[in-house]
Amino acid sequence: MALSGLEIYKLLPQTNCKDCNYPTCLAFAMKLAAKQAALKDCPHVSEEAKIKLEAASAPPIALVTIQGGEGEVQVGNETVLFRHEKTFFHRPGLFWRLRDNDDIDELKRKAAEADAYTVDYVGIDLHLDGFAVEAASSDPAAFSAAVSAISSVSKKPLILLAPTADLAKAGLEATNGARPLLYAADQDNWETMADVAKQAGTPLAVRADTLEALADLTQKLKQAGVEELVLDPEVSGYLDSLERLTTLRRLALKKTFRPLGYPIITFPGTNGEIDETLLAAEHIAKYGGLIVLEEFNPASLYALLVLRQNIYTNPQKPIQVQPGVYEINSPDKDSPLMVTTNFSITYFSVANEIEGSGRPGWLLVTDSEGMSVLTAWAAGKFDAERVAKDAKAFNVEEKVSHHKVIIPGHVAVISGELEEEMPGWEIMVGPREAVDITSYLKAMWPN
Amino acid sequence: MTIEIPKEKWTGSVCEVTFGATADEGGTRSRTLTVGGETAMPFLHFEGVTPNPPALALEIRDRKPDDWSPLLHQAWGEAMEDPGEWAKAAETAGADMIYLALSLTTADGEPNTPENARAVVRKVLQASGLPLAVAGPGQAEVDNQLLVPVAEEAEGERLLLGICEDKNYRTIVAAALAHNHLVQSKTPMDVNLSKQLVILIHDMGLPLERIIMDPTTGALGYGFEYGYSVMERLRLAAFQGDSMTQQPMLVNPGFETWKVKESKVGEGVPENWGDWDRRAQEWEAITATTLIHSGADILVLRHPESLHRVRTVVDALVNPAATA
Amino acid sequence: MSRYIATRAIRGANAIVAEADGLLNKAIAEKGGDFPVAFPNTAYYLPVMYGMLGAEVSTLGQIEPILEHAKNLLHPLPDEQLWTPYLGETLDCGMSTLLAAEAIEAIRFVYGEQPEPYPGLELAGATSFTSPDNGGGPAADGHLNGPIDDIQLRSWGIQLVDGRMPGFAAIIGAAHSNKAAVAIIRELQKRNILTFLTGNVNGRSIIDQLVEEGVEIGYDTYIVPFGRDTISAIYAAGFATRSALTFGGMKGGQWREILLYNKFRVFAFGLALGEVDDLKYATAAGVLSYGFPVIADTIIPEILPTGVTRYEHVISMPWNEIEGKTEEEKAAKLVQKCIEVRGVKIQITEVPIPVPYGSAFEGEVVRRADMRVEFGGKNSRAFEYLLMADKDEVEDGKIELIGPGFEEIEEGGYMNMGIVVEVAGRKMEKDFEPVLERQIHYFVNGASGIQHIGQRDIAWIRISKTAVEKGLTLKHFGDILYARFHGDFGTIVDKVQVKIITEPDLYAEWLEKARAAYDERNVRIGAMTDESVEEFYSCTLCQSFAPDHVCVVSPQRLGLCGAYNWLDCKASFQINPTGPNQPIRKGQCLDPVKGYFVGVNDYAKSGSHGSVEMVAMYSIMENPMTACGCFECIMMVIPEANGFMIVSREDTSMTPAGMTFSTLAGMAGGGLQTPGVMGIGKFYIISPKFIPADGGFKRVVWMSSIFKEQMAEQLKQVAEREGDPDLIDKIADERICTDVEGLLKHLQEKGHPALTMESLL
Repeated sequence: MALSGLEIYKLLPQTNCKDCNYPTCLAFAMKLAAKQAALKDCPHVSEEAKIKLEAASAPPIALVTIQGGEGEVQVGNETVLFRHEKTFFHRPGLFWRLRDNDDIDELKRKAAEADAYTVDYVGIDLHLDGFAVEAASSDPAAFSAAVSAISSVSKKPLILLAPTADLAKAGLEATNGARPLLYAADQDNWETMADVAKQAGTPLAVRADTLEALADLTQKLKQAGVEELVLDPEVSGYLDSLERLTTLRRLALKKTFRPLGYPIITFPGTNGEIDETLLAAEHIAKYGGLIVLEEFNPASLYALLVLRQNIYTNPQKPIQVQPGVYEINSPDKDSPLMVTTNFSITYFSVANEIEGSGRPGWLLVTDSEGMSVLTAWAAGKFDAERVAKDAKAFNVEEKVSHHKVIIPGHVAVISGELEEEMPGWEIMVGPREAVDITSYLKAMWPN
Repeated sequence: MTIEIPKEKWTGSVCEVTFGATADEGGTRSRTLTVGGETAMPFLHFEGVTPNPPALALEIRDRKPDDWSPLLHQAWGEAMEDPGEWAKAAETAGADMIYLALSLTTADGEPNTPENARAVVRKVLQASGLPLAVAGPGQAEVDNQLLVPVAEEAEGERLLLGICEDKNYRTIVAAALAHNHLVQSKTPMDVNLSKQLVILIHDMGLPLERIIMDPTTGALGYGFEYGYSVMERLRLAAFQGDSMTQQPMLVNPGFETWKVKESKVGEGVPENWGDWDRRAQEWEAITATTLIHSGADILVLRHPESLHRVRTVVDALVNPAATA
Repeated sequence: MSRYIATRAIRGANAIVAEADGLLNKAIAEKGGDFPVAFPNTAYYLPVMYGMLGAEVSTLGQIEPILEHAKNLLHPLPDEQLWTPYLGETLDCGMSTLLAAEAIEAIRFVYGEQPEPYPGLELAGATSFTSPDNGGGPAADGHLNGPIDDIQLRSWGIQLVDGRMPGFAAIIGAAHSNKAAVAIIRELQKRNILTFLTGNVNGRSIIDQLVEEGVEIGYDTYIVPFGRDTISAIYAAGFATRSALTFGGMKGGQWREILLYNKFRVFAFGLALGEVDDLKYATAAGVLSYGFPVIADTIIPEILPTGVTRYEHVISMPWNEIEGKTEEEKAAKLVQKCIEVRGVKIQITEVPIPVPYGSAFEGEVVRRADMRVEFGGKNSRAFEYLLMADKDEVEDGKIELIGPGFEEIEEGGYMNMGIVVEVAGRKMEKDFEPVLERQIHYFVNGASGIQHIGQRDIAWIRISKTAVEKGLTLKHFGDILYARFHGDFGTIVDKVQVKIITEPDLYAEWLEKARAAYDERNVRIGAMTDESVEEFYSCTLCQSFAPDHVCVVSPQRLGLCGAYNWLDCKASFQINPTGPNQPIRKGQCLDPVKGYFVGVNDYAKSGSHGSVEMVAMYSIMENPMTACGCFECIMMVIPEANGFMIVSREDTSMTPAGMTFSTLAGMAGGGLQTPGVMGIGKFYIISPKFIPADGGFKRVVWMSSIFKEQMAEQLKQVAEREGDPDLIDKIADERICTDVEGLLKHLQEKGHPALTMESLL
């Protein structure tokens, strides 16, 4: 039975020293109870308390950090099987596999292109997380050269696919002090790989084709002093992925089975018969931690990045859209001006309907802290004052000449106040539901 | 060390629902379609059964739609000119079911009529032997006006009639009762509303074996995660024994994904969005396959190639022997 | 059960079974036992025989065993001396009457005597009946309808099932006068009720009356003449049986299911006009089995207890005694009574006023310059009062303006006004009065050109010039309220009547009554305790945000959002029985201090899908109630101060917990039980059931100053209740301190009781 925050609090120093970066011991205790903080963040906890708390407080799935020249990827520390139970915390890293037997210039070109790849999704910058460089040549010099070449054009985190300690070392030296993931220790090489990882202080992936063998290996590696591990259960299809990754997640969460309490790395493109994108999508939804892609295709990558963003959105903190005035279908000064909140779903439904209507329009998205129209209104985040303030802040005055603003039907009640807040403006009450926007515009905004 | 898979012990299961009727059963379909019956979360064969694979339906219209993506026009070509031909093409493309959506207006802009709706349904029934779903254009009055005669026209065929929503379900349910059809109960991404509408429809006397839940999904990137989680929750509730959440789930990723900019628009979009055709298909296929993992029993799609790709995934997931 | 009715029904049944027997013997002798029998254009054989007995009758000979069965159901007349309940016997006789009647009509078809000839009559839409006398075409010289054909049954059936058609009326006999007949029919038509016509009184049928008055009858007008004798009422029973078979998915022989289907789903009733003879009593007894009550416009004994029907069985409403100056007024009352007895719900879809109406106008402001007149505010007073009344005291739809309108008031002027709404309903409860009364604000505000603020006796209403130009008058307030209460609260409200009072004396009188009622309600809500009720309510409105969260709302602990108290939940459940507020039987109380109840725990377990095992209603430290995210305030333990702080959603400052409201919200929300942190509604703070398990209100060491301002009066009373009148001063707020050190200093200076209470941890 997990300890409650209050029970944990009793074991803490109760000094509110803030060294853990939480304001009070109680706040820290509650975060520990929710498995969102690690006990090691408290430098003052007594040994006795540590033993008592250890079991209850260590996250059931370890956190693994891979660092590049700039930026890092963190995976693990998940606490639930289904995102609605709390949230999925650390988005799986998406890596593109490059091989050292490729021409160096070609490698640089590819890495630079992928490094520069970025798409904007509701104001969020989506991009590839890094590269998995494979020592396909089995030649340390070639591998080192390839890693150097890639590092010279990209500061993103790396995974070094190096089957031997020598290769791994060669690759490591070429990373300029970054902290890549070494891949992988197996039954045969685990001791030497452990040495390399320990010495370099890098995380290490572990590969085996049964869960028993995996657990066996992770325990040995832990004893050898490597703490940050990543599991490769060698899955290759839709069904074995689902079964094994689900089993791993359940073992970690439901049984607190420490030997398998690590994030998972997968290679959805290695089985040539399988649709890589669709298997990668499954890995995103169902418990993948690091996903190494064979193919770099912007169209597919964009879709996968958005999927990852969606699945890893905190259900209690909905995606927000950047407040501002959005142009839809190239509006001009005579086009209607509509207002809504910055809850992503609300924004999408409204924007989509305006777009679908084929009519040009301005959409003022106010800062309602990511709440839907009614919720925001009830919480006082979408009242006349807020709408008027944002209308001013985003200069709607300069965008339209008609001085009319259409508010959502659900907040008809603010129309009176808004008239006062926006003198000289006519407040029109629009439909309650976004689907009725087209017919509303037809009726109320002829031309 | 031996490691045991931690298994869930569920008490509930998903209700089995059968569409269509063959000649023996009073209809004219060449086969029927059964969905539901699961006793565990999707494809976890180690703790439960999936007696019926998720079904894939293709949406067709009573006339060539004005607002579909040019990519879809390319994919279907001439067949879109005639609902009968379109239904045949959909059957050839591998659909398990035809999902016929009636339009608000006819091609010349006149309001759709009961006579036209009857004729189209008759034509589609004659063209393809697959089980058929018929949905109204989505405006309460028109839906009722069109679906009641459709229900009568297709007496005996065990159609799926859609779409029952909170504000308009009684007439459609009554028509299903009168002519022995099934209904699609659609609610906006909310577990309790979903349950409530099933209760209300069931209270009118329609057996649970004739109700399909449509919890509504968003397209990838457009609220997808809400629908996804609502479906997971509905399915978990079903296994926990909540009988009014045990209906098989239908979702319409085709409709949702083909209306978003990523699929609809090929020009004037960021370069990194990549190839239009591929992007649009990824959008539909990823939305669909991911929804399968949250418990979808019927997926309505629009592009024949997406259907093909999703089918491959379904086949692999359903059949343990198919994967090594 | 009345012995009188039993006696006459049983006598009538015996007679008609004998008649059917004679006719059948004659028919078999003349036509042979294999001669086919059927009602044209219908399915399900002879439907009552098929539905009740599962008999697939298609020949004359097959009727014989049916009549044998009918005979077996007959009972002897009740003994003159010995008084027994008779209901069972009477219903049996009713059933044998229906079987016999169906046999007779079937035989009449054999002889071409059905549908009944009616020379000269042209039906406005009818069964496509073909007459052998007319070469296969329609009967040349007119006929009544006979049984309703299948196509029509399905079409009307859909409307009956989906609610567009509220129900059907089977009229037997003839009205008091032709004028009365027309008035009754018009009342039924107005309500979209399907009407079947049968029977006669001394040879005169309501069909004759309507034909004489030129009323169009037939499918197209929803008035179907079955036949001029009582026997033709069998077609109504056939229609009901076929409805259950078609729409209820029942099979022949499932008599119990078919009867119950009709009782619960088909809102039909019988209306007996004129003298009731034995056969009519017997037929009425048959109709009762379907759960259809019978209303008579003559003096007959009533059967008031419910059972076979949902409400009363037999009601007598003698035409001469119905209040009303005209036949129309009497007819309206008679039909209203029928509707009440059957529980037919009427839908009103439009608000009949001369200005636009809809939620879009809810927030509209009427400025002084645009104002025609105002009620309430600075210079005058307006009050609104909704009260429950006995159903006989409320005349549905009656709207009165008592006193002058505002026509005489100068432009921009003011006057006093009272709005009194009287409602009656079988499911209405006194406790719903305030819940419904609060709706007046929203209902009235929906009209374009009316601004409504406040409630009770501080209501403030303005009407714009534009609205008045369009014709808006005070009476329209009544129209709005009538339509909306029926529309939105139809499940608990059956009748609504509205008085708009401006006449000074009456205004004063009603204001006094209203104020007395407000006081009484306040006292009642204050006196309502968790112990005084058997049920709490769940609220799952927020599960979309926090899937495993469930609110448990009790009289002394309102919902954490502050929007739903126990009465609201109770009313919401009545209005929407499948909605988010469901009753929770408290069950055995396991711990009265912490507030553990068997029923609440069970509910928490299932409602949270297993993630919460137990809920303490009155503790924050042990198994506290979960929260979604829409709490009005968050309370959290401050261990150093041995007490709790309460921070308001509206307070953005730092708190002694080292976190602001929004950071705390992440901890308190999400449907997780986090002892030491809890989201609550602000009025819970002043409840006597405020965390008694943890020491109650005396444990509050810090609260956002906004509470001290908004609830000053109530907090003062709480302090007194706790025996420490200066307690509120001892509690810190964000103006005094926002950290633990400052808090402790303040508490020590003021001598806050929490410091000396038992340790919380």
